[in-house]
Amino acid sequence: MLLTQLNKGERATIIDLSLVNESVRRRLLDLGISEGSQVCLQCKLPFKGPCMVENCGQSLGIRLQDASYIKVEKTC
Amino acid sequence: MLNIALIGNPNTGKTSLFNNLTGTYQYVGNWSGVTVEKKVGIIKNKKGNLIDLPGVYSLSPLSKDEAVVSNFFVTESFDGIINIVDASQIERNLLLTLQLLEFEKPVIIGMNMTDVAKRRGITINEQKLSEKLGVPVVPVIARSGKGTATINDLLTDDLKVDASFTLNYGPIIEESIDQIIDLLPANLSIPKRWTSIQLLEGNAEVKKYIESLVAGAGIDSIIQATNEQIADETAATNTSKWIYSVRKAFIEELIQTSVVTEESENKSLTDKIDKIATHPFLGIPIFLATMFLMFKLTFDWLGIPLSDILDGFISGSLTTWITNGLNTVGASDFIKAVVLDGIVAGVGGVLVFVPQIFILFLLISFLEDSGYMARAALVMDRTMEMVGLNGKAFIPMIIGFGCNVPGVMAARTIETPRERMLTILLTPLMSCSARLPVYALFVGAFFAKYQALVVFSLYVLGIVVALTLAKIFSSTILKGEFSMFVVELPPYRMPQGKALLRSTWDKGKGFIKKAGTFIFGGSVLIWLLSYSGPAGFDVPMDDSFLAMIGNVLAPILAPLGFGTWQAGASLITGFLAKEVVVSAMNIIYHVPNADSLQGLLSNEFSALSAFSFMVFVLLYVPCLATVATIRKEAGSAKWTWFSVGYALVIAYVLSLVIYQGGKLLGY
Ligand SMILES: Nc1nc2c(ncn2[C@@H]2O[C@H](COP(=O)(O)OP(=O)(O)O)[C@@H](O)[C@H]2O)c(=O)[nH]1
Ligand SMILES: [Mg+2]
Repeated sequence: MLLTQLNKGERATIIDLSLVNESVRRRLLDLGISEGSQVCLQCKLPFKGPCMVENCGQSLGIRLQDASYIKVEKTC
Repeated sequence: MLNIALIGNPNTGKTSLFNNLTGTYQYVGNWSGVTVEKKVGIIKNKKGNLIDLPGVYSLSPLSKDEAVVSNFFVTESFDGIINIVDASQIERNLLLTLQLLEFEKPVIIGMNMTDVAKRRGITINEQKLSEKLGVPVVPVIARSGKGTATINDLLTDDLKVDASFTLNYGPIIEESIDQIIDLLPANLSIPKRWTSIQLLEGNAEVKKYIESLVAGAGIDSIIQATNEQIADETAATNTSKWIYSVRKAFIEELIQTSVVTEESENKSLTDKIDKIATHPFLGIPIFLATMFLMFKLTFDWLGIPLSDILDGFISGSLTTWITNGLNTVGASDFIKAVVLDGIVAGVGGVLVFVPQIFILFLLISFLEDSGYMARAALVMDRTMEMVGLNGKAFIPMIIGFGCNVPGVMAARTIETPRERMLTILLTPLMSCSARLPVYALFVGAFFAKYQALVVFSLYVLGIVVALTLAKIFSSTILKGEFSMFVVELPPYRMPQGKALLRSTWDKGKGFIKKAGTFIFGGSVLIWLLSYSGPAGFDVPMDDSFLAMIGNVLAPILAPLGFGTWQAGASLITGFLAKEVVVSAMNIIYHVPNADSLQGLLSNEFSALSAFSFMVFVLLYVPCLATVATIRKEAGSAKWTWFSVGYALVIAYVLSLVIYQGGKLLGY
């Protein structure tokens, strides 16, 4: 499934980042987010605004468009 | 003398440590991208210089401020590195540490934010970490200064060079590294292994540097071949991914042996505040309410009463003292006129607004240090995206409310060149503190009941004009498809009183300095021009040179509602610094204090033309210092002229519409 399909507060493991734009992926890697990272979707802003994702106690904001290229697997 | 570089991820406390180790003050804030330039200070133990650099996640730059660091590595010589690591985010911080260790210079690791880590249940065994990496690891709390003495002691003349750290990247990469090393010039000033690894990773800045030294496609073809080989023979799809995964694996092992994390399930304060600050629907209203509250405080509640007291002092006691002083020393009438009518009126007229400006700076510093900036960027991203920018461009704009110069500089953190240029061009439309005295003067005279509201409307107007122009520019002259937005949201921190006062003073100091230079000089010049005319000295003001200059502009400004030579002359001099508009008016109308100037102005302006005048002051040309900064940051004379030109046009058109429209509506 995709990161954007998660509900608010759900956790997931990232399984594929290869579809994400090159520069955005570089930034995500910089922030320690790569395949295998645990993330939690904290919130989505309205009108297709960006979403807030948490990883290891660090929050970051990315655009919905970019998030929709990130493949994840739900962890329960 | 030692030269020590301070390197670390953004927002990990580098500048806080710098201030502690050097005893100076540089700008600190709780968002990524506070430091955008190299800053040098002398270490307290007098052993050498400390160099503060922008934060980076890795040595391959994506944005302009990061390029400053990569460039520093390849072109400047230094003796050692202090690597600041955020203990609460140790994993990703160590990715950078590994690249620094490969540089074969002495490294000291400052393990910062240990207080935050502790609260999150993270315990780090510095001893073990130090053994594994072969460098000293010192736990510190840069904010309070705890542990900085230890670092100070380690910075001795013979920094321990232990260049033994190597990470094995596996046979494919290691072979390519050896091949590249052979092709590098023998007298290369930077470590060859590090250079080769960076080249393989695709560090554009290093590549540029090496290409300037050796010609030929030899290295390129090795990089190409390695990339293909990695893609074919390993799980990774390219070299940089492979290198990343090797480092990540090494770090994971490192953490397993030296970091203990206890699961702490309690919700942090940050989560609670974020529930509201980035609330889906309340986010933007909350941002606007925050801004409005800022203006309420600056004007109605605190600023005006304070500046009234100051005004009373300057026009009362101070003027009397100066007059008496001048009489005692027997100064000539000319000197008395320069001092009292020129300097006291001009400089004093602006200094009166010091309280408002400092309150505004205090509030901006609070916003910066609390962690709200990055949230504002997040909340605004969708709006910014629609006009061809990204949310990060909003941060320079908020900084611009204080002063446009650091605002324009802050645009360096924006990754895409097109968006950065747009932000540089549009930040001057943000209503900076220098325009405040003009507003304060006019709202006091014409909108006494709605001061905060009218000023707030001007700030909002600045933002709206900037966003509209962003849309226009990005769909015409600055077209481009690519836009990116990834922003780190730091935890909220309660700003500390002392740090807050320092940062307010640091910003406000510039204003006082300006009063002593531009405003002082401007006042003397304006006074001289108003005192002399074609007929000689001490002419009636209407026959002075100043009136002649102002009269050239008056007919052009007439349709905007302020076609007097006085308005024209003050606007011209306002290019020096916008406060000078107020100095000029004080001198021209020759009144003892702000209250009586306000009384006089009501004869010259109507409420409508006063508003039109404020709008014009808000938008017409950036001040001299901002223009110089734009020139430097945009690196192009053409764009600099453009920024001046479009501002004049937009100011004229908007003021015209407001004045003529208002008249039609019967105001
Ligand atoms: N709790 C805590 N906060 C810190 C510490 N060091 C710095 N800070 C805060 O972290 C933020 C970033 O600091 P700054 O020095 O600007 O970081 P830089 O971006 O790396 O230069 C500021 O709000 C500091 O007050 C620390 O040891 N503990
Ligand atoms: Mg800094």
